[in-house]
Amino acid sequence: MLASVTSATLSGAVGRTVSVEVHVSNGLPGFTIVGLPDAAVREARDRVRAAVLSSGLQWPLRRVTVNLAPSGVRKAGAGLDLPIAVGLLVAAGALSPACTEGLAFCGELGLNGSLRHVPGMIALADATDAPELVVPLDDVAEAALVRGNTVHGVATLADLVRILRGQAAWPPPPEPKRARRSTTEPDLRDVRGQILGRRALEVAAAGRHHLLMIGPPGSGKTMLAERLVGLLPPLTRPESLTVTRIFSAAGAALPETALFERPPFRAPHHQASIVSLVGGGSWSLRPGEVSLATHGVLFLDELGEFPIAALESLRQPLEEGVIRVNRVGGTVTFPASFLLVAAMNPCPCGEGVYEGACTCSVATRARYRRRISNPLLDRFDLVVPVSRPDPEDLLSRVPGESTEAVAARVAAARSRAAARDADALPVMAPEASDLLSTRLREGALSARGLTKISRVAQTLADLAEEDEISFLHVSEALSLRAGTAAVVA
Amino acid sequence: MSAALPEAAYAVALSLSPAVGPATLRRLLADGAPSATWARASDESGQTAEEVAKIWDDHVRRGITVLLQSDSRYPRRLREDPEGPAVLFCLGDPGALEWPATVAVVGTRAPTRYGIGVAAQLGADLSAAGVCIVSGLALGIDAAAHEGACGAGSPPVGVVAGGLGEPYPRRHARLWERVAGEGVIVSESPVGARTERWRFPARNRLLAALSDVVVVVESRHQGGSRHTVAAALERGAPVGAVPGSIRSATSEGTNALLAEGAFPVCSATDVLVSLSLAGVEPAPFAVSENPEGATVATRQRAEPASEEERLVFAVLSSDPAPLDDLLRATSLSLPALCGALERLARSGLARDAGGWWELA
Repeated sequence: MLASVTSATLSGAVGRTVSVEVHVSNGLPGFTIVGLPDAAVREARDRVRAAVLSSGLQWPLRRVTVNLAPSGVRKAGAGLDLPIAVGLLVAAGALSPACTEGLAFCGELGLNGSLRHVPGMIALADATDAPELVVPLDDVAEAALVRGNTVHGVATLADLVRILRGQAAWPPPPEPKRARRSTTEPDLRDVRGQILGRRALEVAAAGRHHLLMIGPPGSGKTMLAERLVGLLPPLTRPESLTVTRIFSAAGAALPETALFERPPFRAPHHQASIVSLVGGGSWSLRPGEVSLATHGVLFLDELGEFPIAALESLRQPLEEGVIRVNRVGGTVTFPASFLLVAAMNPCPCGEGVYEGACTCSVATRARYRRRISNPLLDRFDLVVPVSRPDPEDLLSRVPGESTEAVAARVAAARSRAAARDADALPVMAPEASDLLSTRLREGALSARGLTKISRVAQTLADLAEEDEISFLHVSEALSLRAGTAAVVA
Repeated sequence: MSAALPEAAYAVALSLSPAVGPATLRRLLADGAPSATWARASDESGQTAEEVAKIWDDHVRRGITVLLQSDSRYPRRLREDPEGPAVLFCLGDPGALEWPATVAVVGTRAPTRYGIGVAAQLGADLSAAGVCIVSGLALGIDAAAHEGACGAGSPPVGVVAGGLGEPYPRRHARLWERVAGEGVIVSESPVGARTERWRFPARNRLLAALSDVVVVVESRHQGGSRHTVAAALERGAPVGAVPGSIRSATSEGTNALLAEGAFPVCSATDVLVSLSLAGVEPAPFAVSENPEGATVATRQRAEPASEEERLVFAVLSSDPAPLDDLLRATSLSLPALCGALERLARSGLARDAGGWWELA
């Protein structure tokens, strides 16, 4: 007998519909899976057999062939366990073909017949075109994000068989969990002094300007970067779906509500491989750190220590907001639009900014700086020198301005910017444009630099709630990019 | 054609002969007219008159002045020197070599930022005080000293080892042009001479001979500056050294020199004092003492215009300070501070040093 059940498999961060065909015929008892299964899918035969038997059902002592169509697409992961088991039960006559009409199945089986979590459930739920979807109980919240109430959660295979036979009803969907505002998020209140660094964070968050901080070890670069995410506004619904989709595809843990509401913060180590940064893998393409940081912050500490190839691979996502990964298994495009924050020492010994304290030779310093290519450096709108905080500030009992207060200004500036006509030319005071043209004539500013300064100055005007870009805004924008000289010189 | 060639052409041809070093050349040219000496040697070397003309053309075309000891423009300091080169090649104005006070600023080719800063400062301050800076145009300290000296008032003098045909090192092509334009570059190697190793210590000897005082800014243990120092001591010229950290490898040589009796150089004034000890006075030049003791040429200064600018101007110093420090010192807001700094920079009172600010 033949049965066909709908399911889906994951390719990169996108799901693809898979039709699971099961054929049971006379012959020597055996179990074959065809249609480009990966190791996890091939092992399904043992899990499915054990699960069927432990659910108190009969295993057909006949020849079983499972075909996963379309046969040209690689099938990955254990999510196909459940549709294979259901198809087998239909083909063996334990279930009627009619009861699987209009249903799609996704889920991994335990040997005892229980249903387990499958990574990438959002994408899988998106891909299945059947009217209703059956998933493990754990994954209902995630699948419901895109499928609403056409999702059914089941705990075990035995439960599912009872429901399909009409002996029981679908269990009610689990109570949606309430989002709890995490109290562990680092607050700007803990940062003492660092007026310039704090201001740079505020501007970066308000205008989505990429930020590079240059300073000696222990000056608080990492501390500042960790607090940037708190200044960003909460994710919009489409943004949080994108973020959740990517985390889900990467198999990363999701929040209790299944949906990410705060922008993600990713800080890969400088020894991370290029594949883990940009995404990849030979067959099952997984999103990398640049995609996991989408709509959030990607923090690269010790920028100068990252392999040059890794840094250069950031140029495409910085320009296009996506990353294309080409592998033997095919080409996948992952979203990768993040706010880049990087920190580096001024030189290998780290003391370069303090006159006389640096023990590096000029040649060593030049070599260190060459690691950051000018095209990459050009992507940063803000390049800020960070110096060690003053001891008085550190010991003072007065806390700094809180994240909440700064975030409010950021939100106001963002809505101001959003309300402005995007194509309108910025309004600039004559004195301000004079300053810019002087800098251009001196050769201290390139055409690209000019655009960046104007953009930052516009953000500063937004933060100050002023319509016109003034001399002060341009001066400050120049100061917030002045660290470039320290790197390029 | 060969009849029209000056005597110097034959001297150049002789100096290009691989068998002739500086000492031999000096002896050969002391014997008689270069053309006669050349005629005697040409049987052996096989050099034809056409070749001599070609070599000569090569020098003339590049604007290189060739000075023999008999030439009135041949520098006094080298004429008095026992090892003065028989033939001196100059690019630029040889008159710069007669400048009343000359100081060699030399040091390692791989300096730290400290060394570069000090060399540039000494170059600028001494040049502004009417002292001609002599250096080797090598990477590192030499170049920094000349960068500081160029345009500061007195003509710079570069002393190089190879021929004057091509700038060496390549990346100093622009500095090379500026030094030749404002002062002079000299060498005892003709264009086309092979750059053998011995030419570098020989250059250091020439450098010491041209200088009244030698200052070493940064030098490693057993660095090349030792040759210059030894040559200077042979000629009785005072040697100064810039003290450095005892933990810095690039200051090992200079600190050792100090221990051996070199005079410490902590500012341009120290060098000016030693110059008068060496019996020379810097050229008269409009200089004024500012409160910090460094000598700088007088210049018309603008005044800070607003209250904020005055406040910021008061906390700026010649040491670059980060914005965070300036914010704390002035209690201004960041935009106000940045605006005041930009306005001060526009009136030439402040300078942006890579995100840090200093007095201009």
